[in-house]
Amino acid sequence: MGRLLISACAAGALAASNLALAYEFDLGVDLRGVAIDATQSRLTGGLGKLRFDGDQDGLRLGYVHAGVRADPTETIRVTAEAYAYGDKDVNAIDLTEAYAEWRQLPSSAWRSRVKLGAFYPEISLENRMHGWRSPYTLSFSAINTWIGEEIRTIGAEYSLDWLGRSHGHDFDFSVSAAGYGWNDTAGTVIGTRGWGLHDRQSMLFGRFANNGSPLPQVTIFADDLDKRAGYYVSAATKYRGLVELRALHYDNRGNLAVKATADGDAIWLTYFDSLGARWTPDEAWTFIAQWLHGRTYADEDVPHNAWSFNSEFLLASFKHGPMRYSARYDRFEMQQTYSSFEYIPILLADDGHAWTLSCSRDFNEHWSVALEGILTDSDVPLRALLGQPMGAREQMLQLAVRYEL
Amino acid sequence: MHSRSATFLACVTACTFLAGLRAALAASALQVTLADVRGAPLAGAVVIAEPSAGAPKSPAGQKAVMDQRNLEFVPDVLVVQTGTAVEFPNSDQVRHQVYSFSEAKNFQLGLYAGRAHEPVVFNRAGLVTLGCNIHDSMVGYIYVTDSPWFGRTGADGAVHLQNLPAGDYTVRIWHPLLDESGPQLSSRVHLAEGAAGSVSVKLTRPLRQAVHHNGADKKWADY
Repeated sequence: MGRLLISACAAGALAASNLALAYEFDLGVDLRGVAIDATQSRLTGGLGKLRFDGDQDGLRLGYVHAGVRADPTETIRVTAEAYAYGDKDVNAIDLTEAYAEWRQLPSSAWRSRVKLGAFYPEISLENRMHGWRSPYTLSFSAINTWIGEEIRTIGAEYSLDWLGRSHGHDFDFSVSAAGYGWNDTAGTVIGTRGWGLHDRQSMLFGRFANNGSPLPQVTIFADDLDKRAGYYVSAATKYRGLVELRALHYDNRGNLAVKATADGDAIWLTYFDSLGARWTPDEAWTFIAQWLHGRTYADEDVPHNAWSFNSEFLLASFKHGPMRYSARYDRFEMQQTYSSFEYIPILLADDGHAWTLSCSRDFNEHWSVALEGILTDSDVPLRALLGQPMGAREQMLQLAVRYEL
Repeated sequence: MHSRSATFLACVTACTFLAGLRAALAASALQVTLADVRGAPLAGAVVIAEPSAGAPKSPAGQKAVMDQRNLEFVPDVLVVQTGTAVEFPNSDQVRHQVYSFSEAKNFQLGLYAGRAHEPVVFNRAGLVTLGCNIHDSMVGYIYVTDSPWFGRTGADGAVHLQNLPAGDYTVRIWHPLLDESGPQLSSRVHLAEGAAGSVSVKLTRPLRQAVHHNGADKKWADY
């Protein structure tokens, strides 16, 4: 049923984009030269933090991205974003988002918005480009990497905006509430693999691979196993376009009494709070800070198998003509606070930090390059299970060449 | 007979010329010079000279254009006389949805590209704040005035208004980044027949920081 609904959304989005008279289309290809010193990536069944495995030096596909935005009516906009990563995905190309948004034409300072379909809750302040890409760094922050891995709103969101700036004031203000399904497994990745730092977004019909490792594989947006909707509520404010603040409380309301599927997809009860601030003091500088703290449970007998996780980052970016320079510091921590798994002699945990330095240059509307160095130190006790030392320093240099239609 | 009619024609021509000359001489000019709080020229300010005797009726068929380029309204401020029809072409590759719910004009243009909508007639004086429903950071202004004598200050901080009838005027000043209110923004001036008047105003507070949103890129999804 869930798949059916998502398929219908996607088909609707694509059909609308073909039929509508007006649409915008983007196509982007990102090729990477990679020099890496790391353990096996969390994306291929390991516990490495980065996008690629330690032996994946050389030429890699960053992504192929296709996005379409169509306007079937004067107030409804339909968006679909699809990616291909060239990994061993279930589908070679798959959707990451597909939704319709209705925006009331404002006749007063109050405006309603409704989003329906599969989309990101407005948490990230760095993933601000179409297709949820970041203009600042190649690898996302730990927080937004996790959002890209496990979180998607597959449901409906209602927002009420107060358009202060169009009303002679300095502030805009917005509150939102959403209900969603198909997020029962959210928590599996953070609870078993901890935090990551990469730019691979989970696809709507894909799986989080394990390649035979002891870590569970996950159908990220699995069928709604517990038939219980999750929710989030959020508030955001903008001051004259110079400062933006966001707060969000998320709870997938997973029903832990429902048993795992034959595929191994289990229900995790996950909730978190998120805060974010972006300050753009002038045309050159941007500063972003985000904080996220959450808890997740994976057993009926709470508090057995309980985890807490938190992360924060600071990003500074300087733009000068076609050049952009960005630096980010991430702190992240995950700790299993209770365990009833007798066969795992250690509690799952992750404790680390990361430095990311990036420099990019736009040559013209189509071509750009980006060079990024990332260094992360982390202690993950579960690495012992894979025969690795608990502590690891991982580093990667990526040179991306990008073409966008 | 021929000679008399030639004399008559010459007379009429001379009278017409003199009448025109007299009218031209009777019309006054007004120079308004603005300085910021440090005394530097204030460019881009709106200056309006409102006649105390009441503004003449707006001529019909006045047109103006408020463009949209690189996710900004161009110009950032448009001054028009009451009754002007303003066109809102969209010169961007992305679509816009222009609206205002200001008291002086409440209107909405549904999602569009190019020149999909008819011009909007602004028939009430006042400040109209424009927004784009897709790109919340886009803010523009249309200053609608009953007076035909208006302008924006140049780089030298000055605006020269011509052909004002003699009389009393209120000179009003507005700027989108103005951070003050007070008598300095509204000066009284008397223009004698054929004379040139001048008004100089110095602001008492610095202008607010200009906001150039850095999302002026079609690849960005949040604005």
